[in-house]
Amino acid sequence: MSKPTADWERVGDRFYRKTQLYTSVFDPDLEIENYVVTGAPYSGAVAIYRDTSKIYSFRGSQTAKSSIDLYSCAGRLIRQIPWEKGAIRALGWSEDERLLVVTEDGTVRSYVDLQGDFTPFSLGHGSEEHGVQACKFWATGFAALLGDNTVVIVTNYDEPRPHVLAAPPSGEVVSWAVIPPEHTSSRSVEVILAIDKTIYVTDAVECEDRGLEAGPFRHISVSPNGEFIALYTDDGKVWVISSDFQMRFSEYNSKVKTPPRDLQWCGNNAVALAWEDEVHLVGPNGAATEYFYNSFVHLLPDVDGLRVLTNDVCEFVQKVPEASEEVFRLGSTSPGSVLLDAVDQLEKKTPKADDNIQLIRQNLDEAVDVCIRAAGQEYSIHWQKQLLKAASFGKSVLDFYNSDDFVDMTESLRVLNAVRFFEVGLPLSYDQYIRLTPERLVQRLVNRQDYLLALRVSEYLHLPVDRIYVHWARQKVRTSASNEDMICEEIVRKLNGKLGISFEEVAHAAYDEGRGKLATDLLEHEPRAGKQVPLLLRIGEDSVALDKAIESGDTDLVFHVLLSIKRKVPLASFFRTINSRPIATAIVESSAIDQDRELLKDLYYQDDRRVDGSNLLLSEALSASDVGPAADKLKMAAKLLRDSKDHATQVAALEDAQKLLRFQEAFEKDLGERFVGLSVNDTISKLIKMGNMKRSQKVQTEFKVSDKTFWWIRLRALIVRRDWRELEELSKTRKSPIGWEPFFNESLGAGNPKVASLYIPKCTSLTMPERAEMWIKCGMISKAGEEALKAKDRNMLEDLRTKATGNSALDIDRMIAQLQKGR
Amino acid sequence: MAAHSAVRAINSQEITEKARRDLLHLLEGVRGKKNLVIEKSLAGTIGLFVKFSTLQEYGVDKVFFLENHNVDASQRNVVFLVRGENAKKARMVAEQIRLVRSESQTDHDFTVIWVPRRTLVSNTILEEHGVLGEANIAELPLHFIPLEHDLLSLELENSFSDLMLRKDPTCVWAAARALMLLQKQYGLFQRILGKGDNAQRLADLLQRMRSEEDVNASSDPNNSTLTSFGLTPSSVVENLIIVDREVDMPTVLSTQLTYEGLLDEVFGVANNQTEVDSSVLGGASAPRPDRNSSPAPTAATKRKIHLDSSDKLYPLLRDNNFATIGPTLNRTARRLQSDQQNIKQSDQSIADLKTFVSKLPAHQAESASLNTHTSLAQEIMKFTQSEIFGRSLEVQQNLLAGADPSTMHDNIEELIARGVPFRAVLRLLCLESCLNNGIRSRDLESFKRQIEQAYGYQHVLTLANLERMGILVPRESHRGYLNPIASTAGSTTTDTNALRRALSLWIDDIAEADPDDIAYTFSGYAPISVRLVQAVLQKSHLHNLANPPKPGAPSSAPSGTGWKGFEDVLSRIRGATVDVTQKGSDADASAARKTLRGSKEGPKTTVVFFLGGVTFAEIAALRFVGQQIGEATGRRLVIGTTSIISGDRAMAVAEEKRKFGE
Repeated sequence: MSKPTADWERVGDRFYRKTQLYTSVFDPDLEIENYVVTGAPYSGAVAIYRDTSKIYSFRGSQTAKSSIDLYSCAGRLIRQIPWEKGAIRALGWSEDERLLVVTEDGTVRSYVDLQGDFTPFSLGHGSEEHGVQACKFWATGFAALLGDNTVVIVTNYDEPRPHVLAAPPSGEVVSWAVIPPEHTSSRSVEVILAIDKTIYVTDAVECEDRGLEAGPFRHISVSPNGEFIALYTDDGKVWVISSDFQMRFSEYNSKVKTPPRDLQWCGNNAVALAWEDEVHLVGPNGAATEYFYNSFVHLLPDVDGLRVLTNDVCEFVQKVPEASEEVFRLGSTSPGSVLLDAVDQLEKKTPKADDNIQLIRQNLDEAVDVCIRAAGQEYSIHWQKQLLKAASFGKSVLDFYNSDDFVDMTESLRVLNAVRFFEVGLPLSYDQYIRLTPERLVQRLVNRQDYLLALRVSEYLHLPVDRIYVHWARQKVRTSASNEDMICEEIVRKLNGKLGISFEEVAHAAYDEGRGKLATDLLEHEPRAGKQVPLLLRIGEDSVALDKAIESGDTDLVFHVLLSIKRKVPLASFFRTINSRPIATAIVESSAIDQDRELLKDLYYQDDRRVDGSNLLLSEALSASDVGPAADKLKMAAKLLRDSKDHATQVAALEDAQKLLRFQEAFEKDLGERFVGLSVNDTISKLIKMGNMKRSQKVQTEFKVSDKTFWWIRLRALIVRRDWRELEELSKTRKSPIGWEPFFNESLGAGNPKVASLYIPKCTSLTMPERAEMWIKCGMISKAGEEALKAKDRNMLEDLRTKATGNSALDIDRMIAQLQKGR
Repeated sequence: MAAHSAVRAINSQEITEKARRDLLHLLEGVRGKKNLVIEKSLAGTIGLFVKFSTLQEYGVDKVFFLENHNVDASQRNVVFLVRGENAKKARMVAEQIRLVRSESQTDHDFTVIWVPRRTLVSNTILEEHGVLGEANIAELPLHFIPLEHDLLSLELENSFSDLMLRKDPTCVWAAARALMLLQKQYGLFQRILGKGDNAQRLADLLQRMRSEEDVNASSDPNNSTLTSFGLTPSSVVENLIIVDREVDMPTVLSTQLTYEGLLDEVFGVANNQTEVDSSVLGGASAPRPDRNSSPAPTAATKRKIHLDSSDKLYPLLRDNNFATIGPTLNRTARRLQSDQQNIKQSDQSIADLKTFVSKLPAHQAESASLNTHTSLAQEIMKFTQSEIFGRSLEVQQNLLAGADPSTMHDNIEELIARGVPFRAVLRLLCLESCLNNGIRSRDLESFKRQIEQAYGYQHVLTLANLERMGILVPRESHRGYLNPIASTAGSTTTDTNALRRALSLWIDDIAEADPDDIAYTFSGYAPISVRLVQAVLQKSHLHNLANPPKPGAPSSAPSGTGWKGFEDVLSRIRGATVDVTQKGSDADASAARKTLRGSKEGPKTTVVFFLGGVTFAEIAALRFVGQQIGEATGRRLVIGTTSIISGDRAMAVAEEKRKFGE
């Protein structure tokens, strides 16, 4: 077995290693130097297409057809996407392995799961006019540079919404790069552009000149963690600076006349420069190493390293992880290294094994940890086993050790080794695996239609498997040639009883394939009512969709269905659809009341809901600004109901309303005051306040206002008017339908005890003490005394005596005396 | 108070914090300064958890109300914060985006934040107006907002009208979503109880959502975690009791007699705030530092007063009967005064002085609060001592106590003739109708005529609305009151007379100062809604009230859980009865959990959810119940609601506010 350190190179004070992942990657005939090559993050698929600006040898019309080819890292062709759409300006990947193709005219196609299906959108913002020059991609979005130096960014592929950044100055953009939003302080994308001799940084708000002089900069590259920027200066130097342009960390002189073809970061610590068949790796402080290849190289940067792709090899260059360095470095005496040696000795059955253990006894747990971590970083299964053996051996010596990490690592390694297998071709490093998460790894397997492996991995790691089944079923629906019933049966058989299967997605796929019946059949199995709705609508099963929407309880969904039905069918059948469904009717009514009264009228008419129809007209009458139209509407409202006996009172009310309006109009003309808008009672009240007794009585008789009510209105109006004379006059009337107490209360309340007192004697129904109390309220103690005297209430008199002063005191005294005398 | 200990069960603080974080995060996402356009009803809600100054820190320059249609173009960024369920509001957003875009020279960036979710309808509307592509769309998942530790509200101010008048179940869905979130966090509610048709609907939705949750969780690509949701019943929440507002309208219509209830009746309380004329607070407020609002420059201005437990006195006052407020305020005043005198009288050592000074801020805050509440109480007193209030209350209490309604008609007619506030009259009529399954047709016609004459013919619509809501209806001869033998009661009508006995809805002698029953909140009347809660949680108390135990005789009080012992009563109340026991789908896991919990007792929190709104008096009564059961068994109550309702607000829903010729 070759030593793990065989492919290590020292760069400055660190080691870098170059791991050969796969060999004979591409067809030797493929002239990879003539292709543009981009790789998806986390060791994902590689997309290549022929660079149209390069000359290539003609090999018949077959190969001349242009296409975008998707390969795995091991060179397995995953899919070929034929391309006739126009000049491709950029090809890029998102972190969920979505392929984006940007053409010169600003059209973007987004291919979701390595299949041929795509969703297109346009960049706009003048991209048709000026043309797209180039694009830079990051995990969740990309920036496009247009011919007029406008930068358009898209930050979300699910709902792409291109934005323009602040305009940079004109001039040729020598090179450029983006800092993804997650790494900037402003949380928005920043784009770095090398124009002339300097560098501009632009974001949504402003474009700033960083005032550098060493340009033009041939290459700019931003490190994966967004903290550093590597620049290639005009005089052949590589600068590494901080991304806020405040610090310069290192400088390296390549001493090569031709500028490199590509400059990329390798992890966050080193920068790789690529010429045709040569790669320079520049570490911190300008230390460097060089790699030479037999053929043309492409650099595919990843989060923790760099993939190097040539026609026949795929290699991974990365900084040697700390754990590996600790264990394997020549001459290392670290506990981990000693432990590994101990296992060797153990296999040779020498007692040195125990000596080794004793040597590192103090740090044994640390040694085990290191071995486990180092195992994760190894690509060679032999060394993985060796390291795990060491860890297991060390662990057995320890009294207490939590084996979780060990178990997790063995699980992870099993998965990693499985997916690194050349037929799968996902050479994930351990760090990439952790960042990608097992769930998304499974998704990638599913996208490659490796269903069995995906299922095995999911089951092994206890992940949900429903997505895999659904994807499988969708694929089945798309490609299977057997008849629809059989497909449905097969899918249902396979998916039945599995938790959380979304049949709706499968049905959707079926519908998109034009298999309407299959779609309906499959939809029947969808457990979520709400999810069935959109597809049902598209299929044209409107009333089923409406029922399902109602069933789901989501009124938004119901409303949505209603809107789309209303758009599709004539009004009459729309009403027929809703009138058997009260919730739908309620929603239509409550939305129409604000927006569409005509619709409501039609609805009421069709359903023969006369009262509602009449009320609607009444409401319109209220909205009318003038009396005339209001009266007309009222007339119509009354007419609607006149035929039916049940609504006689409502008709009467509506007619009264018209009558009142007529009266009020007349009063307005005669008296020059505003009456319209007042109620019957208020009209009477206003007339009385204006001293128009006659007219008020006319209103009373016309509207049959009861005497009681009328008297109350009169009383309150007179009080407001402070018409004490009239009130006195009233006190002389024989009878009041509301009694006299209200007169007393209101007068007193209005601050006129004198008038109030006039009513006290008339309150004959009240008891003596109550009346006495009324007198007291008016401040007439002696009158109260008289009441008491009449009732021969000695106690009350005594009581009154304490309240009384002056004359009334004398009066009370006299009464007390009288009472005593009387006895 | 029970209120405070409930925090441990359902953490309201956390909900507030999350809402705050979410909103600020969204605002932060829009770079630079921005104008915020906010729906009026949301403004108060947002104010509950984030201050305007904080918004400013996050770049908000100016705030506009959506309804005012006055957004200007002063900032490049315009952020809309609007409820997405409301098509009307969505249309307004679309129109205003169009307006700003067409009028302004600059290239604007629009962001629309839908609360609590982005809806299909809002998408359609924005699309129809051609602005969908223009705006960044975001969601602010704002569901429950804690008004207090023990009070979670959805703050859907239209929930009552939607349910009662428009029969639009949007808020049932919203409630289900909010309760679902609680379940996700705290586990399945072990038992769902409820009364009323909408309660049934809500319970069904919860069940349905639970089954759909499994599918959702796994088909959501963003959800990468292995969800074990739906497997285990909650270890925190014991019961969910859903009270459909339709079941208990009398309580809403009655005048609340707790301090907080009366504040709501007189001034109106919204989002824990009330607005009063600054003249009410009088000159007394001028000298002290005002922490609630800016000092009033002119006499006629309104002042906002915060009413929540951050106040010194308010928590002590809010839930008490108003009759006892005066004495409490007096006592406090005397205590504060004596504190002050202590410091003046005796010659103090420096140490004493120091302790006093350190207490000074609290002391000042307390006396400021005393001032405010004394002024408010005085103002309420003016209201309660008016003759009209007395008359209305008399009618109301008689009706509640079960007097023959026809004896009250003269009184009501007089009130109409005297032109008392419209809503007060309506409340009495509706109360009569609700308690007696309608008003005799002939009487109702006559009342209608009088109302139309006294308050205007536009109220034909008001009366039609009330009829639609089912709270002012003619009595049908074949059912209810006139024909008590017919056993139709239960499904569509409520047999109030039977309830009055079985649930002791009326308590004659109530000690307001030292209450022993919830009836103190209405000075005699015990709200049906709270009695229903008691039927679950305080079975023996309720039983003993209805059948006073004979000394020595063994108690025959019902035991058990759920509605047990009160099934008969429930069948006499209109609407469906809900009783669902939720078990985990994985019995082993729940059993294991139980074992893990060991000897500890089961969950003890009960969530009472009001569908259609809750009144402050009911909140007070529930807190009283919570306190009692807290002392007895350590259980707790948390109140959830779609909104806060009061009689006047309920009437305002039906009221036609336009007049002729305007």
